Amino acid sequence: MKKALALLLALVMVLGLGAVAYADGVTLNVVTSYGGDDGNRGNFEAAVKAYEASTGNKVNDGSATSNEEWKAKVLTDFETGSEPDVLFFFTNADAEPFISAGKVVSIEEIRAEYPDYATNMRDSMLAVASDGRQYAVPSYGYWENMFVNRTVLSDCGIEVPGPDYTWDQFLADCETIKDNGYTPIACSLVEVPHYWFEFLVMNNGTVANHLDVPVSVEDAAGAKWVAALEDFKALYEAGYFPANTLTASDAETVEMFNQGEAAFLIDGSWKVGYFTENAADLGDFAISYVPARGERKASEAIGGISMGYFITRKAWDDPAKREAAVEFVSQLTSDEVLSTFVTTEVTALINGAKPAGLNPLQQSAADANANITAIAGAVQDTITGEAKADLFGNIQNVVTGKLSARDAVAAAIALN
Amino acid sequence: MNSMIYKNKKPLLVFLIPAFAFLIVFLYYPFFQNVVNTFLKIGGLGRASQGLNTPWYENYQRLFTDPNMRTALKNTLLLTLCTIVFQVGIALILALLVDTIRVGAQFFRTVYFFPIVISATALGLMFNLIFLYKGGMVNQLLLSLGRLPSEVKPSGKVLVQWLDWKDQAHFLFTMFMPVMWQYVGFYFVILVTGLNNISPDLFEAAALDGADGWKRTRYITLPLLRNVLCTCLVLAITGALKVFDLPWVMFGAGMPENRGWLTGTYMYDQTFNRMNVDYGSTIAVLIVVLGVVLSNIANRVFRPSDDL
Repeated sequence: MKKALALLLALVMVLGLGAVAYADGVTLNVVTSYGGDDGNRGNFEAAVKAYEASTGNKVNDGSATSNEEWKAKVLTDFETGSEPDVLFFFTNADAEPFISAGKVVSIEEIRAEYPDYATNMRDSMLAVASDGRQYAVPSYGYWENMFVNRTVLSDCGIEVPGPDYTWDQFLADCETIKDNGYTPIACSLVEVPHYWFEFLVMNNGTVANHLDVPVSVEDAAGAKWVAALEDFKALYEAGYFPANTLTASDAETVEMFNQGEAAFLIDGSWKVGYFTENAADLGDFAISYVPARGERKASEAIGGISMGYFITRKAWDDPAKREAAVEFVSQLTSDEVLSTFVTTEVTALINGAKPAGLNPLQQSAADANANITAIAGAVQDTITGEAKADLFGNIQNVVTGKLSARDAVAAAIALN
Repeated sequence: MNSMIYKNKKPLLVFLIPAFAFLIVFLYYPFFQNVVNTFLKIGGLGRASQGLNTPWYENYQRLFTDPNMRTALKNTLLLTLCTIVFQVGIALILALLVDTIRVGAQFFRTVYFFPIVISATALGLMFNLIFLYKGGMVNQLLLSLGRLPSEVKPSGKVLVQWLDWKDQAHFLFTMFMPVMWQYVGFYFVILVTGLNNISPDLFEAAALDGADGWKRTRYITLPLLRNVLCTCLVLAITGALKVFDLPWVMFGAGMPENRGWLTGTYMYDQTFNRMNVDYGSTIAVLIVVLGVVLSNIANRVFRPSDDL
């Protein structure tokens, strides 16, 4: 009996090995930011499934939610030789370490062998690295703006703000909202203060000089950043952030907004998908405008195309994976697939995306976007990861008075 | 023939050398390189160093002046103390209790050991939900008991003042409690095994002499368990110095307001999030030194007795 069992097990192992040896296709290691609660997670999974079905290849999906820790992990993987075959990542300064190390392949080099690669994209909208080459095939752009909870505003007798929303009106509204027992601003200062940082910086400058990075705390850009951090402190001291903003996760504060406990949330276009999937009634929410101060208008926002698909040198140099990687990126950035990801965002597609019918929140975003008069990229994308981690990590120290805004900016500049 | 096997030691080397080589390559060489790294300027994992720091002992200077490092050390030493008192203490009490029952001992062994087999990440997420600010299990319980103040606002909305279990007043309890809870079962199993090795004859003799339960525990069980307890304490102390995963999942980077650092979480943050590899290496050296020093102290204080 034992002999028969041993023989059977041995047979199964041999057959298993044979099956592996003769299996069709290859396994691609793919890392993207379409993980966690990303609104396009479902679309990404569907696109991957379609790719696997059409090619016989397998995708080992290592996607995760995009945050500073995820970015650091991706960069560490490159540095330790554990990079994926295909990476969907930021195309700004964050990608410079692996681009300058020659760990990814340029579009030019890929087109030498695959002339049709990314030809559905406008070349002028592809991100250019510091060496003058283009590496990433963009998916779609993003916008950052203010989400509002209509029910909370209505309970407090406040209208949904329009494109002429001023900072003073906003402060008055926050006070009313607070007096009515709601939290004015849903934001985790300890985890995701960067959306507010962008707009507070722009409120202390202009959309034209938004991307100026300070060289010294004394220069104009430095002064803007210091003023932005002081605005954070003023809002915190006024009690407009959640009571647990220094210990809450981003997921907690977003859910607070979703549950009708908070009125305002600054977030990105990706959050529309989150509310589409998780909100009880999409009609409770609208996309509005971040209140403006100084020379900035509320109709000026943050936006652009910041992410794209990279093929790594490791995959390109592997004859078994080269074609699989090229085909993967081509399929995931085709007009048809990108149209499933896009609702109100810009794309680099020559023919443009053709999203299906919009839900109430997507329509609200489209209406708000129609009133946007100017956009600038996120200035945090132009500084090093170390500087960013230090700056955002110190916001909690600034609002609690443990560190001055000036010292916090100076420390970040020293690391940039 | 058998005696020849013991006289000829060469075959033993065949088995010892691979393990020795493995340790040299994967433990001692990396540790030596880690010490070297503490003197270099390294801006990311895998990146080449940019030469020596100026001064070369800059990172060691920083260790003594960095307020976050002081916080991390203080918290870690407190965690170590709590580990000794609560983890090993509770495990000892549970082991003594389970040892006295005749029915269901195996059931309790399994139940108490179970948290060990669950990943720390899963436990961290679970305790995050238990201590969640709004609607967490503990806060809901307090609300239903009427222990959370609330007020009705002009809009008719009831504003509950939830208890923030991660704020400065509560974070140590919220961070340490799951760590204690997770490893009690580990020491419990070791101690129960130690108790099983004590001959029942001794207890029977003591009972005949009129010793009650407490006296049997005080004069027979605890002295005979001393060597096992000593092992548990050394394991608990060195384990506490390396705690990382559960606090990281629950508190991330030093929450709240840089008061929640442990040596393990601070080392990780410096190395992987801030790309400050050389300083992270210096913290790692400190953790090793602390581990060696504290476990030596524990060994001396609770030295296993040869008389037992």
